[in-house]
Amino acid sequence: MLTVFLFLPAAGALMVALLPRERSHEAKWVALAFSALAFLTSIAVFLRFDRDAVGYQFVDRFEWIRAGTAGFSIQYVVGVDGLSAALVLLLGLLTVVSVLISWNIEARTKEYFAYLLLLETAVAGVFVSLDLIQFFLFWELELVPMYLLISIWGSGRKEYSAMKFLLYTLAGSAFMLVGFLMLGFAAGTFDIAALTAQPPTEALVPLSLIFWAIMLAFLVKLPVFPVHTWLPDAHTDAPTAVSVMLAGVLLKMGGYGILRIALPILPNEARDFRVALAALAAVSVIYGAIVTLQQKDLKRLIAYSSVSHMGYVLLGVSAMGALGLSGAALQMFTHGAITGLLFVMVGLVYDRTHTREISEMSGLIHRMPLIGTVMLVAGLASLGLPGMAGFVAELTTFLGTLEAHPAATIAGIFGVVLSAGYILWMVERVFHGPPTERWAGLTDATAWWERTAMAALVLVILAVGIYPALLTETIAAGVAPIAQIVGAA
Amino acid sequence: MLLPAIPEAAVWAIYLAPIASFVAITAWVRRSALWSGQLTIFAIALAWALSLWALDTSIGLDGEPSDFAPHLWFSLFDLHVELGIRLDGLSAVMIFVVTSVSLVVQIYSTGYMHGDGGYARYFAFMSLFTAAMLGLVMSSSLLQLFVHWELVGLTSYLLVGFWFHRPSAAAAAKKAFIVTRFGDFAFLVALVMIWVKTGTFDIGELNELAHGLSPAVLAGFTLGLLSGAAGKSAQFPLHFWLPDAMEGPTPVSSLIHSATMVAAGVYLLARFFPAIEAAPSEVSTTIAYIGAFTAIFAASMGVVMTDIKRVLAYSTISQLGYMVMAIGLGGYVAAVFHLFTHAFFKSLLFQGSGSVNHATHTFDMRRMGGLRTVMPITFWTFVIGSLSLAGVVPLAGFWSKDEILLDAWKHNRLLFGVGVATAGLTALYMFRAIFLTFFGEYRGGEPPEHGHSGPPHESPSSMWAPLVILSVPALTFGFWAFADFGGFVEGAIDPSLRHFEGVKTESVVLVASLAAAFGGIGLAAAIYYYGTPAADLLRSRFRPLHALVARKYFVDEVAEGAVVRYALHRGGGRLLSLFDTYLVDGVVNGVGRGMRRLGDGLRRVETGQLQAYTSLYFLGLVIAVLALLVFGSDLLER
Repeated sequence: MLTVFLFLPAAGALMVALLPRERSHEAKWVALAFSALAFLTSIAVFLRFDRDAVGYQFVDRFEWIRAGTAGFSIQYVVGVDGLSAALVLLLGLLTVVSVLISWNIEARTKEYFAYLLLLETAVAGVFVSLDLIQFFLFWELELVPMYLLISIWGSGRKEYSAMKFLLYTLAGSAFMLVGFLMLGFAAGTFDIAALTAQPPTEALVPLSLIFWAIMLAFLVKLPVFPVHTWLPDAHTDAPTAVSVMLAGVLLKMGGYGILRIALPILPNEARDFRVALAALAAVSVIYGAIVTLQQKDLKRLIAYSSVSHMGYVLLGVSAMGALGLSGAALQMFTHGAITGLLFVMVGLVYDRTHTREISEMSGLIHRMPLIGTVMLVAGLASLGLPGMAGFVAELTTFLGTLEAHPAATIAGIFGVVLSAGYILWMVERVFHGPPTERWAGLTDATAWWERTAMAALVLVILAVGIYPALLTETIAAGVAPIAQIVGAA
Repeated sequence: MLLPAIPEAAVWAIYLAPIASFVAITAWVRRSALWSGQLTIFAIALAWALSLWALDTSIGLDGEPSDFAPHLWFSLFDLHVELGIRLDGLSAVMIFVVTSVSLVVQIYSTGYMHGDGGYARYFAFMSLFTAAMLGLVMSSSLLQLFVHWELVGLTSYLLVGFWFHRPSAAAAAKKAFIVTRFGDFAFLVALVMIWVKTGTFDIGELNELAHGLSPAVLAGFTLGLLSGAAGKSAQFPLHFWLPDAMEGPTPVSSLIHSATMVAAGVYLLARFFPAIEAAPSEVSTTIAYIGAFTAIFAASMGVVMTDIKRVLAYSTISQLGYMVMAIGLGGYVAAVFHLFTHAFFKSLLFQGSGSVNHATHTFDMRRMGGLRTVMPITFWTFVIGSLSLAGVVPLAGFWSKDEILLDAWKHNRLLFGVGVATAGLTALYMFRAIFLTFFGEYRGGEPPEHGHSGPPHESPSSMWAPLVILSVPALTFGFWAFADFGGFVEGAIDPSLRHFEGVKTESVVLVASLAAAFGGIGLAAAIYYYGTPAADLLRSRFRPLHALVARKYFVDEVAEGAVVRYALHRGGGRLLSLFDTYLVDGVVNGVGRGMRRLGDGLRRVETGQLQAYTSLYFLGLVIAVLALLVFGSDLLER
């Protein structure tokens, strides 16, 4: 089933690409159909996931490259635990939303939707791969469609931003590959489950170096201070759907990598550096929030808020306990839905105003009550209002980290105050105030695809916020073994 | 006890009824707006009826907590978050206050908000607020309380900014939310910490466990609660959002910013009164002094405000200070009793100011005057509310204020003096407001936003009827003190802390409080009715002092100007932003440029000329040989 989920979008991409030129307007329907099928598959995975069972589920495996003389082999192996099951669901949902929100794309539609679907396969590959080399391949594959999507369909300094994104990630993943190879040669296998069960005790270079080599790639992706500056540029210049994917699922590759690879395979090293990680997290949260307060561009503002919010993921990780790790995992899911929705809304605003300068907007809610209301809902979720998804994740993180890192946790809680500041100030400037002449002609979100995209995400945010048990049990099933490994000192 | 014990489902229904009306209005009813008001009233009337049942049951239990078992919300490893109802003397009184005031306010709102474009939205938010407030007071766990604590903050934000097309309203809404959230920061830290230390959120358990905790932990926890309470209940130095919150529609001020939400801070402190008592005594002292200072500080500003609603806002801050002081002095019963009576008469006063506004289209008392004759019902009910607030015997406010002063007299004479002085100022500013608004000549009001302005007239029955209804509790609810109110609310706390012995007073306290009340009224009459000494004369005589108070002691300037604008925004924030763009990102771009230069440089080396390659080869060879000669053959053996 996972293999189906993994390659269904790629098949869709192929089919979109093969559409004859005169039928290129059907590309979006094909893309919608394939992403919807993939979404249904991800729902099935999530629902049929057995939360009481131990180990990976829905495993497909075959030998891919056998290198008998070298003593190792590279295999194709996919499977999910509670952690990846949740992220797979998020990916399925956000891809459908991304396709919907791209309904108006006019230029080179075939290529656009093909790349979007290819992106889903690449990210899915990261979430379900259980072999380091395979993980790495999908990790790199994701760059191709992203680079093209930003540099062709983006705006502003799109080539610069796309190149920056590409180089930043490549620089990180070069270290990651070295780290993976060292681990693999030391242990004689690239199988993640095997490595987790029996982590190598020594390698060519000190394990702590390998840990940081791998972490570098993940921290860039997350991103945390000071390796975050690619994110605002990439977001600002990317088309809406790409921002949704970027904030919603691509950043989660970083957090996922930490939880799946860095922590369980190098638990002692992770524990050794927990204070450093907590410090990085606290700085990211506060620094990100303060810089967010300064932003004059609506999309940049949301982008910087991601730096702050992803800091909570690292904070949860840094405590190396079950609750903190659960908080981190929950935060990945909820941030994906919430920030995804925020970018959807920013996109809808931009489609109408053709500007992202906050100072040029005022009183937009008078013309766009629905967009304004949903933006407020997304904003409130982002600032951690109880009853919405973000609160559960942040609370769990704080409960799990206070004992291990009191100062960093208190800094994290202060970040919640700052987030209220930047969100409400943004809402005040953009949506409140008297209606103005300039924006008198704007229309609200009336198209079915706009409304469906908004409704789906609002529903998820409220559902998880009101009844967190929908998600917590699955997450707990995924986190428990990881916590057992890193928690046992 | 008249009725059988209330089942748990019926208590949940108190909470769910307004939620249902919120959902119904949002989903369907908004298309036919008028129904939204009726639906809200119906839902809250249902909640009110059930609250009487809950009160009856709780009285039957002497205020001891009922034994409703909590329900699991979600769990993760050691974390088991439960939702449940805690029905005891304290929460039963609060549920009754919230449903009663809310019901009256909704009726009043159908008149006040009549014809407003956002009529359905208004009632949707009001329903949501009522539900959140009810959830806050009936929660059995601290986390559940916190969830609703934030939700009332949200609805306050939505309702203060209800007329968001006004920049002042939008700014006030944001300010209210952020300032209270600032207080909530320490509250949340306290909440997280206490769970880490005890592994539970259950309010009853936490109060019981308090004695076993280390003094530092307990002090941190209770001070965190105080911080949250100071934000919500507008205590110094987080008080300055409340006057601005008057930008909201007046019924909103009447419900949220006088009777219920702002009292939530006092409720929180009362709820954790056993923990506060167990904490080091410095905590109680801090609470008492913050309350006392807030009481007199805010009262002084009430004297100089020209906007009738702002007078009431400062009065609310001041009275909340009274309650907080009472908690700090160990006067749990007195604080809750004053919260209870204050809710009714302050709500009445706000609605009175709304009625006046309905007639004159202004809140500026300098443009009112002489309304006594044209608005007799508003006038008389306003006088009743003011007398109650001023603490004139035998109105409700007298009894509750007297209990606080009695506690102060017993424990701290300085704070007793502050309390009496505040009582005098309270009488002064209320009767100043009455004389300016209802006596003398009518000074013209302001033209309405729409339509033409006629002479002022009494408000419609949907507005004056609530005033009449609320005068009854303002007059009489103090007498509950004689029917063992104290014993009832003490049922909620540990038996060892119960020391209420029925209504008592000391003659000193009685004389001082009545002297302050009548002194204040007399002074107001002298200045604002007889004009000797004239207000203008006093103002010019004490110009610097007047300016200081009228500018609200420059707290807003310090908080917004210095802290927010300069430290966070212009100064520190701008600096960090530049740091981000030029240094953090600059390094990145620099590395990029450096790499390109390096590439350029290396390209120049690869010239394709054999001579160049050969000379480089020999250069390398020479270096290698030299290295061998210098470091010896060890280098090779390694």
